[in-house]
Amino acid sequence: MSDKTMMLNLKIWRQRTNKHKGEMVDYKLDGVSPDMSFLEMIDMLNEKLIRDGDDPIAFDHDCREGICGMCSLMIDGQAHGPQALTTTCQLHMRHYNDGDTIVVEPFRAKAFPVVKDLMVDRSAFDRVIQAGGYNSIAVGNAPDANAIPISKENADLAMDAAACIGCGACVASCPNASAMLFASAKISQFALLPQGQKEAARRASSMVASMDIEGFGNCTNHAECEASCPKGINLSNIARMNREYFKAKFTNNEA
Amino acid sequence: MTKLDSKIPEGPVEKKWQNAKFNYKLVNPANKRKYNVIVVGTGLAGGAAAATLAELGYNVLNFCIQDSPRRAHSIAAQGGINAAKNYPNDGDSIWRLFYDTVKGGDFRSREANVYRLAEVSNNIIDQCVAQGVPFARDYGGYLANRSFGGAQVSRTFYAKGQTGQQLLLGAYSSLMRQVDKGKVKMYTRREILDIVIVDGKARGVISRNLVTGEIEKFEAHAVILATGGYGNVYFLSTNAMASNGGAAWKAYKKGACFANPCFTQIHPTCIPVHGENQSKLTLMSESLRNDGRVWVPKAKGDKRHPTEIPEDERDYYLERVYPSFGNLAPRDVSSRQAKYRVDEGKGVGSTGVAVYLDFADAIKRDGRDAIEARYGNLFEMYERITGENPYKIPMRIYPAVHYTMGGLWVDYNLQSTVDGLFVLGEANFSDHGANRLGASALMQGLADGYFVIPYTLGNYLASHKFDKIETNHPEFEKAYQDAQGLTKKLLSIKGQRTVDTFHKALGQIMWEYVGMSRNKAGLEKAIKEIQQLRKEFWEDVNVPGDPNIVNTELEKAARVADFLELGELMARDALNREESCGGHFRDEYQTEDGEAKRNDQDFCHVAAWEFTGVDKEPVRHTEALDFPNVPLATRSYK
Amino acid sequence: MSQAATKSLRVYFSSSIGKKQIMAVTGLALCGFLVSHLLGNLLILVGADAFNFYAYKLTSNNLIYVAEAGLAFIFLLHLFLALNLTLQNKMARQDGYYMKKRTGRGATLASSTMPYTGFVILVFLILHLIQFKFGPVYSTVVDGVEMRDLYRTVIEYFAAPLNLTWYIFAMTVMAFHVGHGFSSTFQSLGFNHPKYTPTIKKLGLAYSLVVALGFAGISLFCFFQN
Repeated sequence: MSDKTMMLNLKIWRQRTNKHKGEMVDYKLDGVSPDMSFLEMIDMLNEKLIRDGDDPIAFDHDCREGICGMCSLMIDGQAHGPQALTTTCQLHMRHYNDGDTIVVEPFRAKAFPVVKDLMVDRSAFDRVIQAGGYNSIAVGNAPDANAIPISKENADLAMDAAACIGCGACVASCPNASAMLFASAKISQFALLPQGQKEAARRASSMVASMDIEGFGNCTNHAECEASCPKGINLSNIARMNREYFKAKFTNNEA
Repeated sequence: MTKLDSKIPEGPVEKKWQNAKFNYKLVNPANKRKYNVIVVGTGLAGGAAAATLAELGYNVLNFCIQDSPRRAHSIAAQGGINAAKNYPNDGDSIWRLFYDTVKGGDFRSREANVYRLAEVSNNIIDQCVAQGVPFARDYGGYLANRSFGGAQVSRTFYAKGQTGQQLLLGAYSSLMRQVDKGKVKMYTRREILDIVIVDGKARGVISRNLVTGEIEKFEAHAVILATGGYGNVYFLSTNAMASNGGAAWKAYKKGACFANPCFTQIHPTCIPVHGENQSKLTLMSESLRNDGRVWVPKAKGDKRHPTEIPEDERDYYLERVYPSFGNLAPRDVSSRQAKYRVDEGKGVGSTGVAVYLDFADAIKRDGRDAIEARYGNLFEMYERITGENPYKIPMRIYPAVHYTMGGLWVDYNLQSTVDGLFVLGEANFSDHGANRLGASALMQGLADGYFVIPYTLGNYLASHKFDKIETNHPEFEKAYQDAQGLTKKLLSIKGQRTVDTFHKALGQIMWEYVGMSRNKAGLEKAIKEIQQLRKEFWEDVNVPGDPNIVNTELEKAARVADFLELGELMARDALNREESCGGHFRDEYQTEDGEAKRNDQDFCHVAAWEFTGVDKEPVRHTEALDFPNVPLATRSYK
Repeated sequence: MSQAATKSLRVYFSSSIGKKQIMAVTGLALCGFLVSHLLGNLLILVGADAFNFYAYKLTSNNLIYVAEAGLAFIFLLHLFLALNLTLQNKMARQDGYYMKKRTGRGATLASSTMPYTGFVILVFLILHLIQFKFGPVYSTVVDGVEMRDLYRTVIEYFAAPLNLTWYIFAMTVMAFHVGHGFSSTFQSLGFNHPKYTPTIKKLGLAYSLVVALGFAGISLFCFFQN
């Protein structure tokens, strides 16, 4: 804990609605405590803006404990800021110094249109899941939970893939705005579980198609997605998706 | 008294659900598509209900406040979900889970509901595994279990420290499947501004599109609220920023009774507040107390660095007061003790509102590696937030509001006192009585959504006749005008104070007087202060901006307006409940050694409040509780 | 093939993953070609006759036209898909960032410059064909057979320091391109395993170094022959 506060120069993207043109606007903020989170710093700026009769900055946030995936800022050119394995809400101001300039922008992709200021529309992700990110099982059908054993290794790998919070940092940081890490995490999770393998081909096929329709870019194996993923989703998931997709297209009659 | 008909089915407790299901009327498969059902919320209860009802064939309109249904705050639950599978062969059973939950709830829940919860708990695990929820497993490929507070058996299923997330994503995937099939129409970034009641039946909602600002009307044959708890009344809580009591509060104002609003759960191991700009609190798993020792300096205002305070100048107060349970004393007990120390001026850290949780002895005993293996991720999280290394400096912790057991009153069928208005999950007054056990919230949300509402809703729809109505019905028109009016009014005040300053002021009142321990004088004072604050709010709040675009201040203002009324009801309920039980502790009602003293003679009941007007006293109804199966007993942890 | 199967394959070839897998396969084939080309070039070190005889044998076989057509097809497909994907990728971002930084844990200089290094290689290739395949034709006699003296063409070309510099520059650029491309191929085709991926990455690095140093080394050798 520190009693020292700092003054920051902020360059923040302002855009009234999707129809309006946006621009970077400069703000000065004094009295920022190093114990504050990045979002609390923006809260503080907003309180100041309201007092000054300005429009507060709109940004997405909810749980503020790094799990809901709602927060989504591009900070100094990096998705969720400079710290690895950290969402914006878990980034703290002690990593900055008095007098620093910080650039804050929304996640940018054709598939993520800006709603207002730093808020973007990530419903494309929901549509990718709608295309097949589920097991087709209605309530009432399930056998006993222990009826089908699953190797610990696969259960753990599935959990690692399932840890995705759908924040979109992978898309934001990918030079191609590709959603492959996101889609592959879901395809992998199910492909690793016996319950999910029944419709693996159909799932891979339609989720990839949906991802393409949404206008996400292609993967050129930079691994920026993996590097900026706050949950450490691994690139091996994309490889698994590539495999699953190939298998689906060349060996399955329906996919 | 006639107001509250719990509709508990006939028969012995273990047969009630079976009997009820058999006696419920059914909707013919071909007719289900003729019914529209509104589900508000996409958490475990709402998401599960929306998906399941759509699977059955109903047309579901599902609303959520976030940009995606996958972000509901159920996602933040870490620990696990209970079920009576008895896979570890350690003596668990449906009956034992039922028994533990009733007892853990300090005998303020309804036996029949709790039994049903325990009964369907096993189906939940089966369903989730089939959905592809990656629960932890052993090398043999079978499911692993861990133990959790308040139980002597290992019955908690978990997915790393992200069980809530994985269960929610399971429900979300089922929901997305139904959206793809066209059976669920998803409305994201929507706030519910009112419930529309036509001829005594809930028939629709008024919502605000948070992107366009448009106020919209939706008609249906029944409305299901699964909007979570109201912990954000306290401003600082472990709830998500958008968690609010708005929809439930609007339902209350439209005639649904609000039950036991004073029952709030305060979690002892949260990261303490760092300053006035803090926006929310983060919980750390209670498991830390297995190895950490809680202490404060013996001297008041001791500002020395913790490692410089010698052993004999430290007060390990939990070990001192509760020698047998020590640092593992239950949530409410250890929270209250921390508050007492801070009130005595012995709090630590720069704010003086925290106590130490020290791992030095555990590290000395078991080695750093062992501690890291057990709590590595929690220590990392702590360091990320506080910038302090808990391997070297004792953690600072303090209790925080975590869960609200109270909520809209519902009968056995989860229907509120308004016909056709159902309430699920944390939003209802729930199966947890006055205190919720760990790993039970997830269980309740999914039980309500997957296994209860599909039956009880069918029964309701099949037993009522519905007039065809359109959204131009006068009741819709009136609710629409009211919602428009509220928006206009908030924007027109143009006062001096921001919404957050009011919310923080309310939070302070609530935390001070309606927090971990309450007393008559304090509660009376709280009611007065809240009324005064509410008055100031409507005169002096500053809500900037436009109603026709994203306006987060307007959203917040409407929520705080509701909290300013709800907070008063909580204080009122706490004032009227002249006993201590579970999360509700009244200073006046304690044993000689400071333990909660329940009054089963006068308060073995649910208190459900009926709205009579904003500045009028609500009417307190009661539903008597009886415990033929789990004999009333006193909790003791000495 | 049934109609459904045809459609399925058509979808594959126009999908993001299908395209990158074809990029991978064609890229790997081109990597193979580079190795054979390098082995052939190594004969320059043996001497003029060996190299010329090898070139003669290679070009006098009629199958060379089939091989050249195949190689051209693979190359053009790789090029066409590269253009297509790059364009799509640019469109996927639409509005650019005011500020964008690499995390330092993912993208590398090689991975970020693939379209540019690819372009340099294309230019190089065109010039390379003009300078050698369609370059000055001299003739020589080896073992009584008259054949093209390609060796002389090569040696003459590298006599100019400018040519040598350009060639070495192009080989450096190629090292970057295949350095990322080689290991990328495996990822695109779905081979990623904690046990093997680190080795594949090292192999990619080794491959790019061997090929680039090989070609560049030979060019230097030629320079010093003058």
